[in-house]
Parts: sequence; C-alpha cells; structure tokens
Amino acid sequence: MNISNDSEFKAALSFLSGTNRRRVAAHFSENVLSLSKDARIKGAIDAAKRADITPAELAAAYQTARAASVESYTRCGRECNWNDQASHFVAEAGVACVQPDKPGANPAWDAAMQARMARTCETIATGRGTDNAEAAAQYRILAEFLNS
Amino acid sequence: MSASIEKGISVLKEVIDAPIASYFSSCVHCGLCAEACLFYTESGDPKYTPIHKLEPLRRVYKQEYTLLGRFAKILGLSKPVTDEELEEWKPLVYDSCTLCGRCSLVCPVGNDIVYMVRRLREGMAISGHAPEGLAGASQRAVEIGSPMGVKLPAVKAQMKHVQADTGIEIPLDVVGAEYMVLMSSMEIINFPEYLAAIARIMKQAGKTWTLCSEAFEATNSGIQIGVSDIARVLVQRIVDGAEKLKVKTVISPECGHAYTALRWEGPNLIGRPYSFEVLHILEVLDGFRNAGLLKTSGFEEAKLTFHDPCQLVRRGGVLEEPRRLLNLVAKDYVETGDPGKMNWCCGGGGGVSAIEEAEELRLTAFKVKKVQLEATGAKTLVTACANCRIVLEEGLEHYKMDIPVVGLTETIAAHLTAKE
Repeated sequence: MNISNDSEFKAALSFLSGTNRRRVAAHFSENVLSLSKDARIKGAIDAAKRADITPAELAAAYQTARAASVESYTRCGRECNWNDQASHFVAEAGVACVQPDKPGANPAWDAAMQARMARTCETIATGRGTDNAEAAAQYRILAEFLNS
Repeated sequence: MSASIEKGISVLKEVIDAPIASYFSSCVHCGLCAEACLFYTESGDPKYTPIHKLEPLRRVYKQEYTLLGRFAKILGLSKPVTDEELEEWKPLVYDSCTLCGRCSLVCPVGNDIVYMVRRLREGMAISGHAPEGLAGASQRAVEIGSPMGVKLPAVKAQMKHVQADTGIEIPLDVVGAEYMVLMSSMEIINFPEYLAAIARIMKQAGKTWTLCSEAFEATNSGIQIGVSDIARVLVQRIVDGAEKLKVKTVISPECGHAYTALRWEGPNLIGRPYSFEVLHILEVLDGFRNAGLLKTSGFEEAKLTFHDPCQLVRRGGVLEEPRRLLNLVAKDYVETGDPGKMNWCCGGGGGVSAIEEAEELRLTAFKVKKVQLEATGAKTLVTACANCRIVLEEGLEHYKMDIPVVGLTETIAAHLTAKE
C-alpha cells in the first residue's frame, strides 16, 4: 500500500481497529521521541504498543503521560524555547497514544498531529524555517505497518 | 534618592486621580477585601489584604494630597517611600494580585482596588520594581510582537498544521473579511485546537474571516506590568491591522485580559473610538447560536463545570454567553460555588503566571479552586482562557485531581453537525 497525502492517510487510519490505532500512534510518537528527554513518554509509547494491555495499565500510563504534558507547557508570558516546546508536543503525542476511548476520537490521527507539531517546533528551534518531512515519514510508517 | 525612584514617585503622584483620592479617603478599613482575595484566604497572611498592598500609593497620596500629610512631610514627620520599600512591596503588588477584581466587587464603599493596583504598578514599573518575567514579556511584546517571542513563521506553521488537520484553508490578510481573528501566544504555542475550532465554526456559519500578519497577537502585557505606553502600542498595532484589512469585527480569543484591554480600555488608550467592533469569541459564538448559525449535535458524556475567567466574566461582562453555549452540548452541567461574577480566580491572571518566583504561592492559592471543583464532582472542566487553562491544569496536577481541562470554543466545535 502506498500513501502520499493526508486524505489517503486519514482514510487508512479510519479502517484500523482500536488496538492497531494505538499501536500506530505509538510508532508516530516514537519517530519524534528523540526530541524529548522525558522517560515517562517512552513508557506511554511502550504501553500503547502492547496488544495485551489492561484498562488499568492504560489508565496509569495516561495519568503519567498527562503529568509530563502539563509540566512541559510553556507558561503564559514566558519566552518560548522551541526545543522545550517540541518536547511538550512529544508528550502530547504520548498522551494521544494512551488516551481513554472516546466516540469519534482517533488516537493515531491525534498522535500524528502532535508529532508533526513537535517536529515543526524542532525546525523552528534550529532556524531551518518550519518545513519538515514528518508527514511523509508518517505516511511511510503507516504503509509499512499496513504491509507488515 | 536614585533617578528611577524619583521617576517612580513622580508617576505615583501623577496616577493619583480623583477616583483614587476618593477611594483612599473613603476606605473604612472593614477588611472585606481580605476575605475576597484568594491569596489571603488560602495563606491566612494579613499582608495579602488587598488594600494593604496599596500602602506605598496611600502614603504618596497622604503626603502629597492631604493637608495633614503635607504638614507632616514639611515637618519631617512622615517618611518618604523608598526604593527598598517598593522592592519589598513587589511580591504584594505583582506576585499576589491577579487583578481578578473580586476585592473591588465586595468593597462596601465601591473602591475599585484593582484600578488602584494597576496604577501602583505604573510607578513600580517605572522605578524598576516590576518582576523580571513581566518586564521580559513586555519587551518581547513590543519588539517581536508577542510576549512569548512568537513570530509570524510560527503562526504560518500553525496555519499549515491546522489546514492539514481540518482540511480548511486558513485565511491570512484578506482585505474586507467580516472578522479578524486574534490569538494569544498561548494558543499559537500550546493550543492549535483553538484555531482549528475557529476554522470549523466559521465554515459552518458561512462567515468570512482572516488572520492578520501584522497583528495576530491579542495579549497586552502593558496592562499586566502596568505601563500604559506599552499597552497603547500593543492596542494600536491591532487597530492598524484591523483598519488596514477593513474588517467589521475583531475577535478577541480565549484570553481574559486581552479582551478587557482591547475592548474596554483600548479606545481610551489610543484616544479615539475604533472603526470596528470588538467581541470576545464567546460573544461571537453566542451570536451565531442566536442566529441559528451554530448547529450542534450530541452531548458531552461527562459531567461538566465551567471556570469563569475573571477578566472575561467579572471584569468583562461576558457572563451568560458561556452558559448558553454550554447548554448546547452539556446535559449534565453543574456550577461551581460562587459562579459567574463572584468566581474565584485560577491564581495565574494579571501576569502572575509569568512570574517564576510566584509559583509556590500560586499553588497555595489554588486550594480554593480545588475545594470548589471537588464539591462539584465534575469530570471535565471547561474554561475560556488559555492562561486559566494551563494554570488550572497545573493546579489539578499538583493536587492529583484527574479532571481534564478544555476550551469552550473547541468543545463547541467538536459538536458541530456532520454537515460542517
């Protein structure tokens, strides 16, 4: 399967089962994990990858990831450090991976969007503008997942 | 006396106008303002009594504008306000006042204590006694265009991101659009869902709108630090952008003080009326609702409550709009204690969240909110101010309370009918 734009990407995500959405969300988040030094996020991503995770474990992973996300917000009026902000969006992607099931929600799409924000923040921090290839990387990750 | 304290005292003399003179002379020392201040009620420390925070200004008033005070000054019987005192007062005037206005509301003789704190901050800032965090934010706001250092490329990146997320094009610099949408830096940096919600709602309502590349930022740190010149520059930037694009209405975002600064204080700051209307996003949404342009379906499953942002509700007068909007999507809604105009502040307004050294006190003051939220049994907390949102999330996290906090605009957008 080949995915080359967001319409195809979104359509492909919509056909995934709940468990597979979490697993793909974990892969998207993992692709930007190097932008965060917070070990709690890796824990959430690892939890999302497990097909046998229990609701209690998922809830605990969500709590931990939420704490990491809240702690990493840039506070109102403080100067934005784009590297730190990238780390915040990695945490948000981690939260998306383990968020409670909600009608209409798709953790894979949410994690993909947060991961793109993280990558954008990183490119702003490095002074390379805002363009990056995270979306293309996500198309590839999803295609590989579906083909595996 | 250093040059900066001389300037500061000079400013304090200037800011004492007829209302402030009457406020000081009519204060009956009843202490009701103390009971209305979360920094006093939650710490129990009398130094946080609102009227006490104004002591340097009161002394200047007495020494300069009362007969007995002037005699005492001439005879050397009263001591002048010094640099050291202003520095000592800094945590009282900035760290422990969110300009929430609860004290002004309960004062039995009608003293607007917030107005007085704001004026005292003018003298504090000029004499070099404003907190570093706020000074930096104000400098960035003037020089870069955002208190948090956000530049246009970052806004464009978010526009691109939201376009990918929603499939809706985000308009920029469209001359003649009906609405010009402002954002706070917080929404640009932390909450892209706000812009996504606006895009969806405007599309459903069939309205034309635009962002402005020269005036995308709504916040006004000049108001928070207490420097009218900075506040004026920041308001003028928005006015210039809106007039250049010839928009009919400027929409203030989910930010409390940005709304009061632009809507209620802006025309006085720039010395003329606007050629456009200023509305808060909730006023716009409520107008859409009333006109049948906001079509929602389904209800939130969780029990909801609403945190009233002080500047929006108590100071800004947007009281019923959020409740009418919540009624569209909430079946199980509960008010906190003291809802609406008597709400308790989140503890981070008035620039407090930008002051690192105020963090511990802010979390202590959050206890009042914690108790209120526990009493509601709500499972989701809705608010309409990005700063409140983060301060609430931080407080809830600190006190280990599992209540997600969401913005009202995005909550409404999540329930737009499928036709959208």
